[in-house]
Amino acid sequence: MSNESNDRADTAIAIVSTAYLPAVRRNDVTETEMLIAVVDEALGKVGLKRSDIGFSCQGSCDYVSGGTFSFVPNLDAMGAWPPIHESHVEMDGAWAMYEAWVRMQHGDVEIAVALGSGKSSTGDPAEIYLNELDPYYLAPLGPDPVSLAALQARQLIESGKSTERELAEIAARSRRDAANNPKQQVRSAETDVDKLLAEPYLRNPLRKSDLPPISDGASCVVMATARKARELVSRPAWIAGIDHRSEVHNPALRDLTDSPSTRLAAEKAGGVEGVEVAELMAPFTAQEVVLRQALGLGDDVVVNPSGGALTGNPLMATGLVRIAEAAEQILSGGRNRTLAHATSGPLLQQNLVCILEGDN
Amino acid sequence: MSTQTSSTIQFPYKRTLGPVISRFFSELTAQRIVGIRSGERVIVPPMEYDPETGNALEPDFVEVGPAGTVVSWTWVAEPGKHHPLDRPFAYALIKLDGADTNLLHALDAGSEDAVSTGMRVAPRWRDEPVGRIDDIVAFVPGETPEGPAAGEAQDVQTMDYFSTITYTDVLSPTLERYAASMRAGVITGQRCPQCNRVFLGRGYCSVDAITLGEEHEETLPDYGVVSNYTIVTPTPYPGQKETEPFARASVVLHGDEMVIAQQQIIGIPVSEIRVGMRVKAQWFADDARNAAEITSKGWGTVAGFIEGWLPTGEPDEPAEQYMNRVF
Repeated sequence: MSNESNDRADTAIAIVSTAYLPAVRRNDVTETEMLIAVVDEALGKVGLKRSDIGFSCQGSCDYVSGGTFSFVPNLDAMGAWPPIHESHVEMDGAWAMYEAWVRMQHGDVEIAVALGSGKSSTGDPAEIYLNELDPYYLAPLGPDPVSLAALQARQLIESGKSTERELAEIAARSRRDAANNPKQQVRSAETDVDKLLAEPYLRNPLRKSDLPPISDGASCVVMATARKARELVSRPAWIAGIDHRSEVHNPALRDLTDSPSTRLAAEKAGGVEGVEVAELMAPFTAQEVVLRQALGLGDDVVVNPSGGALTGNPLMATGLVRIAEAAEQILSGGRNRTLAHATSGPLLQQNLVCILEGDN
Repeated sequence: MSTQTSSTIQFPYKRTLGPVISRFFSELTAQRIVGIRSGERVIVPPMEYDPETGNALEPDFVEVGPAGTVVSWTWVAEPGKHHPLDRPFAYALIKLDGADTNLLHALDAGSEDAVSTGMRVAPRWRDEPVGRIDDIVAFVPGETPEGPAAGEAQDVQTMDYFSTITYTDVLSPTLERYAASMRAGVITGQRCPQCNRVFLGRGYCSVDAITLGEEHEETLPDYGVVSNYTIVTPTPYPGQKETEPFARASVVLHGDEMVIAQQQIIGIPVSEIRVGMRVKAQWFADDARNAAEITSKGWGTVAGFIEGWLPTGEPDEPAEQYMNRVF
């Protein structure tokens, strides 16, 4: 697809505004109050009111929050009276954005909002994540997400596709980037690679530096059709393509050193050629390597300048944060083509890729 | 001082297994491990569909293992309550002899130093098999399975799985103030400056999506009118404590539109509950009040503070004025 602005069809859709809360170990307010804050911020940047929104979609998870139908009070963040058009996915907000984008294809919605929110602080990820696993072959064995990530990392290292040093370098780079991003959680941790390699294993071959923090947070993106987008911002982040693909659930049945679903999603979304910045949802260091290799990103592509999920990981909001960051690279960063990735399920089971473009 | 509430949610699942998993688990009870053929490959654990193509597979089972080779592993030095062993152990991906895929399982190897990729392992069988993946307690180093003599295969059609999650909820500032007020026997609401509606313990207006704070708080009456009710005939299920028909009513607080739903009307038979009936809160005694039902996952509740609502005996409000509402 061309980058010329006058080539954008009226049906083109762009991200015009984004917001996300700082990832913190525990946010004192409720999930709904967190969402009100991000919606206020994202709409405020472009002078929109809630009544301007034609459709909204939220991503959150009852297992994370610990309450059935906990997404119902979350809906209050959009102001639900008089009745509004809305939807919810029990997934990361990135998939809420996908649904909103699909809904906008219908042509009757000019502005849509996607949200993601989660408070991991209330539960133990080692308990919660078991509920996303196959209940026959996997969950009864209790494999926590860090153990699973360690099995993947070892295969990656022993197959020669990465090294412990490379993983430590990814941790160090992410932490350095996070130091410049006040919204990340791990901002003052060790960044010396040799010192990181001297730390003990938490789950051999993974060290604490290879793991994400436990975070609370919320994120929001505002999308608009071409005419509205040009009215609202000088440099819309056009959604050139967005696609998501899934693989078999059980990680033991997959090649964990590759991510064919990510590769396919990227192809369907328009391909990685010309991508300057990639925000990859890699909560574990080894997963960044898997994703970079699966996508075929060159050394010239800047990966996770935000600090990434490794330094701030609000469940159900993290993927949409990646999209928000990739969009901001265009909206305010002057880039021309960026990539955002989000993942769901154990060890990169399902992957979403969104390609964003700016007008030259 | 923040208020923490701890709650444990259990999901007592009884799952049907379908033809393929059922066969796999039935074989486990006789200490046999089977895979399923997909073309030239043998998939273990067996699936109903080929994991790569999605094609449905014929029920062509083949025995594999019981020994196999470690393909990947990690070491759990400090097992938690959800882990299968209570001493340090490894998780491993194991390629069983004759299989073309890996099986995830625990490996009881004694020490981290004893684990390596490529090592040979064999199952340790459970003393009394039940037909679950953990009929293999763990794999152990070496070629030789451990456990009792194999018995006859059982016909396994279902499995029980109890999922348990414990949550620790810290009340938001608004809910913290709300709970303190309820402990003192006073219902406090937050009034929206835009729509003038009042809400219990939320921190925002549900209609206008405006953040509400301490400055919007006011004392509300603890009496009102029954606006709707339903009589429930209980059926037994986990967590259901009622055995006789009981009522759940909505109470509109006096002078406002604030509805408190799912309330108990006490002191009269359920058959005498009426829409329009005037009721007053029956508070629990001071030392019996607790905030366990108030969580940051939802809206403020009176549960744990107000036992139910007693009819005041005053003349009813006209029922008609409550007819066009859901609650």
